[in-house]
Amino acid sequence: MAKVKAPVEFRNVSKRYGAVTAVDDVSFRIPAGTLVTLLGPSGCGKTTTLRLIAGLEMASAGRIFIGDEDVTALSAAERDVSMVFQSYALFPHMSVLENVAYGPSVQGLKKADAEAMAAEKIRLVGLSGLEKRAPSELSGGQQQRVAVARALVLEPKVLLFDEPLSNLDAKLRRRVRDDIRQLQTDLALTVAYVTHDQEEALAVSDEIIVMSNAKIAQIGSPHALYEEPSNLFVADFIGDANIIDATLMACDGRLGTIQLGEMLLTLPHRGAQPGTIKIAARPDALTLSKDGEGLPGTVTKSSYLGKVREYTVKTALGDLFITAPGRSDAFPPQSHVVVRFTNSGIVVLPH
Amino acid sequence: MTRNLTLSALGGLFVGTAVLAFPSMAQAQGQLTVYCSVQEEWCRPMVEAFEKDTGIKVSMTRKSSGETYAQIKAEASNPKGDVWWGGTGDPHMQAAEEGLTEEYKSPNMANLQDWAVKQWSQTKGRTIGIYSGALGFAYNTKLIASKGIPEPKCWADLLDPKLKDEVQVADPNSSGTSYTMLATLVQLMGEDKAFDYMKKLHKNINQYTKSGAAPAKATSLGETTVGIAFLHDHVTMIVEGAPMKAVAPCEGTGYEIGSMSIIKGAKNLENAKKWYDWALTPKAQAMAAAARSYQVPSNKDTPIPPQSPKMADIKLIDFDFAKYGSSAERKRLLAKWDAEVKNQPK
Amino acid sequence: MKPKTAPETALWWLGLAIASYCLLPWYWIDLSNGLNVTGWPVGASGSALARGIAGSKPWLLTLLLPLGLAALALMRRGQREHRGALLALAGALGLALLLAQGFLIGLKGWNAAWAASLFGGNPTQDGLGFGGFLTLFCFLLLLCEGLAMRGFCRGDAFIVSAIGVIVTTIIIFVFFPVTRVLSQAVWGPEGWIFGTFITKITDRSIWGLDCLTSTLNCGVAWNTVFLGIFVGVMCTLLGLAFALIATRTRFPFKRALTLFSVLPIITPPFVIGLALILIFGRSGVVSNLLYEWFSIPRSRWIYGFTGISIAQILAFTPISFMMLIGVVQGIAPSLEEASQTLRASRWTTFRTITFPLLRPGLANAFLVGFIESLADFGNPLVLGGNFEVLSTKIFFAVVGSAVDESRAAILAMVLLGFTLLAFWAQQAWIGKKVYTTVVGKGDAGLPSPLPRPIAWLCGLVTIPWVIFSLALYALILVGGFVKALGRDYTPTLQHLTTAFKINLDGGPIFTGSAWDSLFATLEVALLSAPLTAAIGLMTAYLLSRQSFAGKRSFEFGTMLSFAIPGTVIGVSYILAFNVPPFELTGTGLILVICFMFRNMPVGVRAGLATLSQIDKSLDEASLTLGAGSATTLRRVILPLLRPAILASLVYSFVRAMTSVSAVIFLVSAKYNMATTYIVGRVEAGEFGIAIAYSAMLIVFMLAVILFIQLAVGERRLGRRALSTPMPTS
Repeated sequence: MAKVKAPVEFRNVSKRYGAVTAVDDVSFRIPAGTLVTLLGPSGCGKTTTLRLIAGLEMASAGRIFIGDEDVTALSAAERDVSMVFQSYALFPHMSVLENVAYGPSVQGLKKADAEAMAAEKIRLVGLSGLEKRAPSELSGGQQQRVAVARALVLEPKVLLFDEPLSNLDAKLRRRVRDDIRQLQTDLALTVAYVTHDQEEALAVSDEIIVMSNAKIAQIGSPHALYEEPSNLFVADFIGDANIIDATLMACDGRLGTIQLGEMLLTLPHRGAQPGTIKIAARPDALTLSKDGEGLPGTVTKSSYLGKVREYTVKTALGDLFITAPGRSDAFPPQSHVVVRFTNSGIVVLPH
Repeated sequence: MTRNLTLSALGGLFVGTAVLAFPSMAQAQGQLTVYCSVQEEWCRPMVEAFEKDTGIKVSMTRKSSGETYAQIKAEASNPKGDVWWGGTGDPHMQAAEEGLTEEYKSPNMANLQDWAVKQWSQTKGRTIGIYSGALGFAYNTKLIASKGIPEPKCWADLLDPKLKDEVQVADPNSSGTSYTMLATLVQLMGEDKAFDYMKKLHKNINQYTKSGAAPAKATSLGETTVGIAFLHDHVTMIVEGAPMKAVAPCEGTGYEIGSMSIIKGAKNLENAKKWYDWALTPKAQAMAAAARSYQVPSNKDTPIPPQSPKMADIKLIDFDFAKYGSSAERKRLLAKWDAEVKNQPK
Repeated sequence: MKPKTAPETALWWLGLAIASYCLLPWYWIDLSNGLNVTGWPVGASGSALARGIAGSKPWLLTLLLPLGLAALALMRRGQREHRGALLALAGALGLALLLAQGFLIGLKGWNAAWAASLFGGNPTQDGLGFGGFLTLFCFLLLLCEGLAMRGFCRGDAFIVSAIGVIVTTIIIFVFFPVTRVLSQAVWGPEGWIFGTFITKITDRSIWGLDCLTSTLNCGVAWNTVFLGIFVGVMCTLLGLAFALIATRTRFPFKRALTLFSVLPIITPPFVIGLALILIFGRSGVVSNLLYEWFSIPRSRWIYGFTGISIAQILAFTPISFMMLIGVVQGIAPSLEEASQTLRASRWTTFRTITFPLLRPGLANAFLVGFIESLADFGNPLVLGGNFEVLSTKIFFAVVGSAVDESRAAILAMVLLGFTLLAFWAQQAWIGKKVYTTVVGKGDAGLPSPLPRPIAWLCGLVTIPWVIFSLALYALILVGGFVKALGRDYTPTLQHLTTAFKINLDGGPIFTGSAWDSLFATLEVALLSAPLTAAIGLMTAYLLSRQSFAGKRSFEFGTMLSFAIPGTVIGVSYILAFNVPPFELTGTGLILVICFMFRNMPVGVRAGLATLSQIDKSLDEASLTLGAGSATTLRRVILPLLRPAILASLVYSFVRAMTSVSAVIFLVSAKYNMATTYIVGRVEAGEFGIAIAYSAMLIVFMLAVILFIQLAVGERRLGRRALSTPMPTS
């Protein structure tokens, strides 16, 4: 009974609680069969947005569509959407099998059919043999997979994840994250996924919606967000970035001439007007050398993390955070260095 | 499926409602609703005998007279009862004063005792006496012997300092019995002397109970040495074998009149009148003794039960029900009692 | 199969409304002589449509307008919200029209002078019957469906309807009668009486503080509050001790202990008081022994504050225990383990983790104990001595020798004021903290055993208490089978046979005088208990899971009829429901309704305490799995609420069996209640029969309670018991 997966669309949706606006005039589209992450710091409105899709909150304004259907006023039970909760929300009084079979059984299916469907999904998440256990008798990772199986069993048009990895340890996270992505691509599910962990978001998403203060800061693919953040917030939130004050001197077609202290750089101006601007430079876009052309500075902090070395360098433009490959030569603290700007990983922030 | 469940739950509620929605209101011909304010064993045989004699179907509800009065008052805009039978006369007279009951002159009034007729005329025909009982006190014979005090015979004997904390009576604010005592003492001694007496008696009172008959029960259990209540309440305990003796005070005492009224707006007025006439007959009144109620019946022809306190031996005062039954006088006396007696230190 | 959408169910309700409007008898008809449908569809049993057209009741035709509007809203196409708005309007209009007609046109014509002069004529009508009530109900549901279509309560029609039905019934069966009776405080037969209101409410007998400076009594208000707080605190602590023993110790007889702790709840009125007098009264068993053995002089210490508080604590501890046991069980063991791994001692863990997590349970148990004490009038009546409380004062202001309705209303207001304060204090104490401990993540921790001193303390308190209750009960049972309790201990079966004689010639015929009342009582109690528990728990669910305007006042409203002494409620029900449009006096229904709304607060409190522990995402998980709210309630919430269900079912059943004050005015010849029979016996001095009957009631109630316990079953939380060893996996 595979169903057609449906896109989700928000048209100017707002959610207000009294004087507080949790989601402010938000519009976006989650294409069918893709995994889209809602990313942002705590309180940015990402979970509320997810709950608006589920029907656990009702929009104060705007319209929500799942597929062609306007679901704005439909209750959660009437929407073809399932959700995996941060706390898993496994029913403590039911066994694993009963938990997973809950969805089909409340749809009116016979007990045997419901349990057959449940057993299939339990196998899919690799928990066969544990059907009779109570949730409290499973490890955290296993409980998480029960929650996923339970959400999948109805093959919903849209599957929602609310910070599904936050209760797992670091190693398990990576595995479960890959499992989820695998499952999503295998079954071509439409998934909305909430997280506050940018690395997790970059790893699993087809597209990321970055939210800040109840609004959308930027929508784009992981690559686009990382390489071309459209504003200060996104640049700062996704990965590490050095935000540096600069002056846009002149524009020529797509490109602009930018003065950075004593240096001049040529970068796409991205619609910024001549005058004072900010640029974002990724830590790996800056290189260090003993001498040569570039920005002179002093290493104030240096740490070795195996794969990379991290430096903090004091320069005329302020403190800069720079990474270098782990196997490169080390610059001890207090040594004088020259910082050089490479061609990629440095962008003008238009806003 | 969820909807079906909701619907069937609601359906269940409706069925339950329907089952209970059968009113016991008696409206049709041949029916009568009686509010009975004496005890169950007396109410029941009365109802059965009346049904047998007349073929009228009776719905009877038993409540105390205070409760029945409150109910009739609350129901006044759409009365559910037809006739109110029994219970102390006080609330009957209040109901009459407030016009909650109907005037009626029964053909059976000729053979009634004077006090019954007097009450009827004082209430302009709205209520009539069916029995009466004198006020008195009783003492626990074991306790009085162990204390070595002479057996009390008069109101005055109750002031004996040896009886400190040994006398029990109800609070006149809550009990008609106790209000009868208050009114009796005022009529017997004059208001000032009566309040002097009650102030002195206050030192001997261990407890002002809420219910009028409670002192009789307490005396029978030995919780108090002397209890003041209606004599027939004491007699009920004595008949059960309690070690106590009932006393009609030597100075004289008051009494209550158990009464009957027809409720204004009665839906079965004709049947209510039939009950009224029937309840005044000796045959109906003789049923009291079988129900272990030892009051004196109002029909002169009714045989008086042998256990009853002999009215001839009791010095009864000429109780002015009109004056002391009126709400104004009642409020004044009770306020005075609260201020001068109850709220005084012992 | 997807749940039907709002318009479909709305269509169903509209159909029902039209059917009841066109076909069912609109007005109340007397069914005591069987169904009489002469003249239908017109005549006394006629439908609204027929009687409206026939011309005798033309105003009924106005209801066609909302019916038509609702049909229009459901038939036409368009945006869901717009159709919802029209449907809601139709429902609201229907409700308004129906109620306006009902209240304006009475048995004897216009009820308001302005209406008479505006419309003229002298129309009359009876109280609403099947058709009227059903149509009213359908209009209400149409309004709710419309609001759900507009997206109210996340578009959940079941929730909106539940809120609508509960709020409406509380308005009709709580607010309406209570305001009716309380208005007597300021409105007398001669009009406004603010002057006397001020004098009476500031009276010294209520607020006096003489006991501080002299030997006189203080005002009743202080007595009442002091007693209420003392009883509330003691009940809560005792209940907690029992709950801790039952869940956190390995005490060998704990099952028996907890079973006996519930005994006093099933005691009919007056009986505990009487038993206490027979034990501790001046001639009581214990007093006699003390006198004979140690020459301790007999005294009347039992009368007054001491006696009332002992009797009330006995009577109200069981319900506090039942409310707390679920809360104690629900605390997540891992929280306590977390505390212990932080090197907190058992005692510190108990003090800083366990006890604070119990707050909602403790606060709700206290509130119930406090209010019960305030409203109780049986015990103060028997044991009060010269210690007066508001409830007895109110009782005698209604039925005493000096009847004063305005005084009764004023005292009831004072009582309500205290309840409001207690409610407010309880809310403040619970605060906005989070108490969720039943979450959708398996909890593999072990409940931490009680710190030793606390375990000992609990044992020391509860064991003597149980022995004391047992002694009391032994005495009560003996009392039913001896000639005269306290005086003549010759065994006899005479009391029992007087009350419960069965004539076996030609099949059993129940000839005993008490059978009628016993059957009526059982019928009413068995019907009202599940309804009471259902409405109470549903209300708790709405209060804890939904947010809507006026929620706090709604919550307080649910407690109104609980907090007011039964006498006042009884009178208020007569005042409100003796006349059209809701003419219910004389039926068994009014008893069931009275019990429902009077006893539901225990279900609400127990439900709230338990629900505060259950993680909301469990409900939400169920909703997103396509289960409607009703299914979610049934399959997820109710199984987790079992302790609260048990508490409220048992409580409402028992209270329906044993409550006396409220029903005294509502009983009728056909629906006479056991307790009024017992009180009648007590008044007549026949304690033997009263006690024999009580003993019989106790047996019946025990049987029903055991059955309820079996039927409700234990809650599965997947938690490990204290004694099971760690699984080896």
